[in-house]
Amino acid sequence: MANIAWRLLRRNISAGQIIGYALANFVGLAIILTAVKFYNDLNSTYSGGNDSFISRDYSIISKRVTGLGDFLGQGENADFSTAEIADIEAQPWARRVGQFTAAAFNVYASVDMAGRSLSTALFLESIPTEYFDVSPRDWDYTPGSGEPVPVVISKDYLTLYNFGFAASRGMPQVSEEVIGMIPLRLSLSGAGRQQWVNARIVGFSSRLNTIAVPESFMTWANATFADGPLPRPSRLIVELTRPGDPGAKAYMEQHGYEVAGDKVDSGRAAYFLSVVTTVVIAIGAVISLLAFFILTLSIYLLLQKNRDKIHDLMQLGYSPSMVARYYYIIVAATNAAVLVAAVIVMLTASRMWDKPLETIGVTPASPMTAILTGVAITLLITLGNIAAISRKVKASWR
Amino acid sequence: MNRIDTITLDKALPRVFAGSEKEPPVRDSQVWLGHVEFDRPGRYLVEARSGAGKSSLCAFIYGSRNDYEGHILINGADISSFSIAQWTRLRCRSLAYLPQEMRLFPELTAMENILVKNRLTDFKTAAEITAMLDRLGIADKAGVEAGKLSVGQQQRVAIVRALCQPMDFLLIDEPVSHLDARNNSTVAALIDEETTRQRAAIIATSVGNNIDIKNFTVLHL
Repeated sequence: MANIAWRLLRRNISAGQIIGYALANFVGLAIILTAVKFYNDLNSTYSGGNDSFISRDYSIISKRVTGLGDFLGQGENADFSTAEIADIEAQPWARRVGQFTAAAFNVYASVDMAGRSLSTALFLESIPTEYFDVSPRDWDYTPGSGEPVPVVISKDYLTLYNFGFAASRGMPQVSEEVIGMIPLRLSLSGAGRQQWVNARIVGFSSRLNTIAVPESFMTWANATFADGPLPRPSRLIVELTRPGDPGAKAYMEQHGYEVAGDKVDSGRAAYFLSVVTTVVIAIGAVISLLAFFILTLSIYLLLQKNRDKIHDLMQLGYSPSMVARYYYIIVAATNAAVLVAAVIVMLTASRMWDKPLETIGVTPASPMTAILTGVAITLLITLGNIAAISRKVKASWR
Repeated sequence: MNRIDTITLDKALPRVFAGSEKEPPVRDSQVWLGHVEFDRPGRYLVEARSGAGKSSLCAFIYGSRNDYEGHILINGADISSFSIAQWTRLRCRSLAYLPQEMRLFPELTAMENILVKNRLTDFKTAAEITAMLDRLGIADKAGVEAGKLSVGQQQRVAIVRALCQPMDFLLIDEPVSHLDARNNSTVAALIDEETTRQRAAIIATSVGNNIDIKNFTVLHL
């Protein structure tokens, strides 16, 4: 007795059709969510960010050095022209391109270590901060402040020293922490000026094979000590839109560029995985789309069968939205149940690969992205269903 | 919207009669192609032979059909411009309609058929509805599915249902076609009382079996 109109309108509802739809959409949604979760896990930026399996891919490119041409100062240019940089930026696989700025002055570094004084000629470069894989504190420099210049060096250099130089020379091996505490002194000279500045190694990069200083320092130092115009960049760092993109590789080969810091193998595997994940997600999407059409057809059939009742109710003064509301509730409840079931499947499935992934050092990502994807798809489907119902009910008006 | 005071037909003609304006029944009609005003709280009886468009007239005014030429105005506003929301409001608050074919839901009981209308405005209490059924001699049928009632009983259920709302105009299409003289009088008295109380107008149609209400303005369709 509670709702007579509802008793009228639920006539002809086919439980079979709704269950059929729910199952189909469940399969589609479960596939999509599981694939999204899997991709996210592999892409996880939790553990050290760029050490994840599918990381953002960066390539450092330079021109191939041929013969002694450059050395003799008469060969082709080893630096990149503005046009060449613009061309790389315009490539579809390049998300952004950063330039290495080299120091156009002389640098000597001296360090007192274990009672011995080491001194060496050095080079410095700077690149925009956003390309760093490490984010050291105090990565900034104010000229004239007297604070030490923060320096990031390649992890390879430390490895080279620890396991190459120090081991063979009986020098002590040092950890990253110890290196950070060693005071460095840099002698900057050029353009008839000379100055000592303090420096400190604040981080080690596995991406950048250079000795990097903040751009603010480089700008000041180049302005103060550089003789003549600044050289154009001879190395570029390119962030790829997609790890291991074959287009990028072909382009580099075609233009004779050399790629350093190349994670070719992991890049390829990552590329392959992302393609596979995309295919799986697409399959899930197709299943969900078909399910959506099943439900839409089923709704049309139901509303067609109940057309007289719907019409008569509206003749009595029921508004189309009052009539449609009952069908909205069915659709929304079904879709919500499907979403919950699919999320449960996704969470259960991800449990199964958590352990193996942890053994290769990948921390699982939060399931939030996958859940939000599911919510978005469910909302989209529900809105589509509601639009169809509303249209069909209004069509029964006269 | 305020109460409906006038319903005007201005050169209205069912589209099915287009082209036969010079022939009966259109030629002799006092309604089609004329200018007719129904005022509240008047009482109008539209008499016609079968096939002259009585049911069409009611359906046009109620907004359930729009296959006519000319204009129909409610309080001066052309009803062809009314939105679905406006019609819904009118059907809940201003226009009561008893279609000739009654349109009861056969799977619902007599009482449920009435309640499905009454719950829109909660206009009548359950006791009032039972009293009306009782007066029409079908209180014992309240729990019976409408599909199992005789046509005369269905007609009385449909009349009670039509009265379960606030109204300015009551459109009753052949309200007593299946009732005997005694039931005709009871129905007429009930309708008379309800419309008088609500100061509502009546537009009734008939092919000859006229509802037993006095002081009708008779129009020949």
